[in-house]
Amino acid sequence: METKSRTLEITILSAEDLRIGNKPVKKNAFVVVSVDSFNNKATKINRDGGSYPSWNDKLVMDMPMQTVFITLQVKCCKGSSGGEKTVGFARIPVTDFVGGYSPVNCLQYLSYRLRDPKGLKNGIINVCLRLKGALRDCSSQAASAGGIGLGIPIDSRRDLGVVTGIPIWSGYPANSLVR
Amino acid sequence: MMGNCCSDVDGGMTAVGGTAPSTSAANQNDAADWYFKSRGMQGLFSQIELSFSATNLRDRDVFSKSDPMVVVYIQERDGAFTEVFRTEVVLNSLNPTWITKYTITYQFEIVQILLFRVFDVDTQFHNVAVKMLKLEEQQYLGEASCALSEIVSKPNRSLTLDLVQREESVPSIHSQHRGKLTVHAEECFSSKTTAEMTLKCLNLESKDLFSKTDPFLVISKVVENGISIPVCKTEVLKNDLNPTWKSVFLNIEQIGSKDIPLVIECFDFNSNGKHELIGKVHKSLADLEKLHSAREGENLFLPTLVGHDNQHKVLKSKLFVEKYSETVQYTFLDYLAGGFELNFMVAVDFTASNGNPRLPDSLHYIDPSGRLNAYQKAIYEVGEVLQFYDADKRFPAWGFGARPIDGPVSHCFNLNGSSNYCEVEGIRGIMMAYTSALFNVSLAGPTLFGHVINRAAMIASQSLAHDAKKYFVLLIITDGVITDLQETKDALVKASDLPLSILIVGVGGADFKEMEILDADKGERLESSTGRVASRDIVQFVPFRDVQNGRTCVVQSLLAELPTQFLTYMRSRDIKPNS
Repeated sequence: METKSRTLEITILSAEDLRIGNKPVKKNAFVVVSVDSFNNKATKINRDGGSYPSWNDKLVMDMPMQTVFITLQVKCCKGSSGGEKTVGFARIPVTDFVGGYSPVNCLQYLSYRLRDPKGLKNGIINVCLRLKGALRDCSSQAASAGGIGLGIPIDSRRDLGVVTGIPIWSGYPANSLVR
Repeated sequence: MMGNCCSDVDGGMTAVGGTAPSTSAANQNDAADWYFKSRGMQGLFSQIELSFSATNLRDRDVFSKSDPMVVVYIQERDGAFTEVFRTEVVLNSLNPTWITKYTITYQFEIVQILLFRVFDVDTQFHNVAVKMLKLEEQQYLGEASCALSEIVSKPNRSLTLDLVQREESVPSIHSQHRGKLTVHAEECFSSKTTAEMTLKCLNLESKDLFSKTDPFLVISKVVENGISIPVCKTEVLKNDLNPTWKSVFLNIEQIGSKDIPLVIECFDFNSNGKHELIGKVHKSLADLEKLHSAREGENLFLPTLVGHDNQHKVLKSKLFVEKYSETVQYTFLDYLAGGFELNFMVAVDFTASNGNPRLPDSLHYIDPSGRLNAYQKAIYEVGEVLQFYDADKRFPAWGFGARPIDGPVSHCFNLNGSSNYCEVEGIRGIMMAYTSALFNVSLAGPTLFGHVINRAAMIASQSLAHDAKKYFVLLIITDGVITDLQETKDALVKASDLPLSILIVGVGGADFKEMEILDADKGERLESSTGRVASRDIVQFVPFRDVQNGRTCVVQSLLAELPTQFLTYMRSRDIKPNS
């Protein structure tokens, strides 16, 4: 089946209140945007913003029609030692910007809660994005692609929102978010 | 140098004056801003100049035409009119255009009622100063009245009114033809144009072989008599003979015009304060723009005194304009002139906690003496200000928390009783629909805002899809605390990217502490159950305290924020008034 895709122009604006180990991030934060596991792009590194970095970096990516989520990972690189740590991540359900209130091709400003690898709240990320391409909204297609513990209403007309499930498996610690 | 080790070298090295413009709504003359803020006037205020002309004035004089003059009155809080201004007398004309203009401060959040009276000045007073004239000795030609917001919200900012006799409130067919008065408004400080420039120099000559050059620029404007006034300075770059400084932002109105000559001086920073001039250029903003587009550089020069002449030593160093762009920061009135509207929507709480409407202690009691209840007051106070900014004066009106006749509880029903459309005509229409709805529904509960917010968001969203130049204001009046806080938060977060502001007024004596969570000014950004955060703070909440003496001004502070919310929305999305 031919995979159609649309073009996503996403500008990572800024982030707020980033912390590592309960201490505010000092510098070198950047964001990786993933449409799926193969399709990633990163912003430039912010040197001096500290725990309130701003990037204003526009990334253009292809977004296949069956994409369910865009994942944003805020990472911090540790300077010369080269390592990088994930500060937090957020998942933007595609239904938040397709088939919602804003018309197609409209510039939309969205903000999301970041959660660290343990599932705890860790700041907010602000982006603005615009989707270019085919005009069908993809809510019904999204329903056919599975999800990980995710509930998506099939009928986009009465779409009251996407529910993000945080699975709790018995016997596992309750604060592990996704494995 | 004695104070050397204590002086703020870092401070001395920072850029001053040429920084990016702020996004406040009060974007005019800084001195005027300070004046108003120090007197407690927040929100949007703008200096407006009113000019007057008239046509077909009545001819009172027997042998010549009338000599008309306009007198302007402002309505005070108690309803009385106070004289504030008189134009000059135009001789012998029934279609005069007056020259003197009246300056008034336009305040978005109050209704400023103006009264204009036209007088024919008798010949015997023609040499008397206008302010000395006694009006009772002049011939009264007619009058007209309007709100200031009616004038500024017109696309061409001109309003033409029929002149009437004092005793009539509206012109009737039988009234004698008295002519028309046209009032035109102009903003005193219009939109700010900012020029953003990135300047760089190549091949700066170092003054001293042994010390490093730390260059910075000072930009000054040249006024009469050749005096130069510094406008801004860049940051200091260390040890750089080919420096590129960060962008400077120059306000073109502050400089005067793009053709005013500027002096750009390049100095070598010295921590003792004695900076050495490396070289300078004389260019206007228009010249700099040309340098940018031609991608050329301009040689710096050093003035040298040779005898009695001012010779210039041309240096090999050059100044380049890497980037030049102009942006305009439009005012709220610019958007109104461009056809933008504020659309008013209202939702009324019909939950049982208000009390039985037929009993006098109910918040919904309709007093036969005509005294307005809290709901009516809130609708009126917000509506009477906002109505002028809505072109068709058709307002969507809903109720929530009640059971329409024999139906299930509805959390969003049309106040007019219709099942097809939700709009009513004018503030009067809202009042009538509210009163009739009161006796056609059974108050129930619980108190939920989610449905009403989603309805309003749908309307805003459809307007956005049609590229309409509309910004929506939803007024929710409630007596209690909402039952489902999370559903309301979810609805608000989803709607936060729309051209919509929500004003929540709490009536009655309930404890509204929980409601303040919705207003991000008083708490954190709203977060939905899916992890999405509100991109803008679109909610304002205020408890409506019924004050016995005098008018309540509580609602005004709510309204005062609206122009800022509107401008922030438009500017952040780069929506221009004339798009």
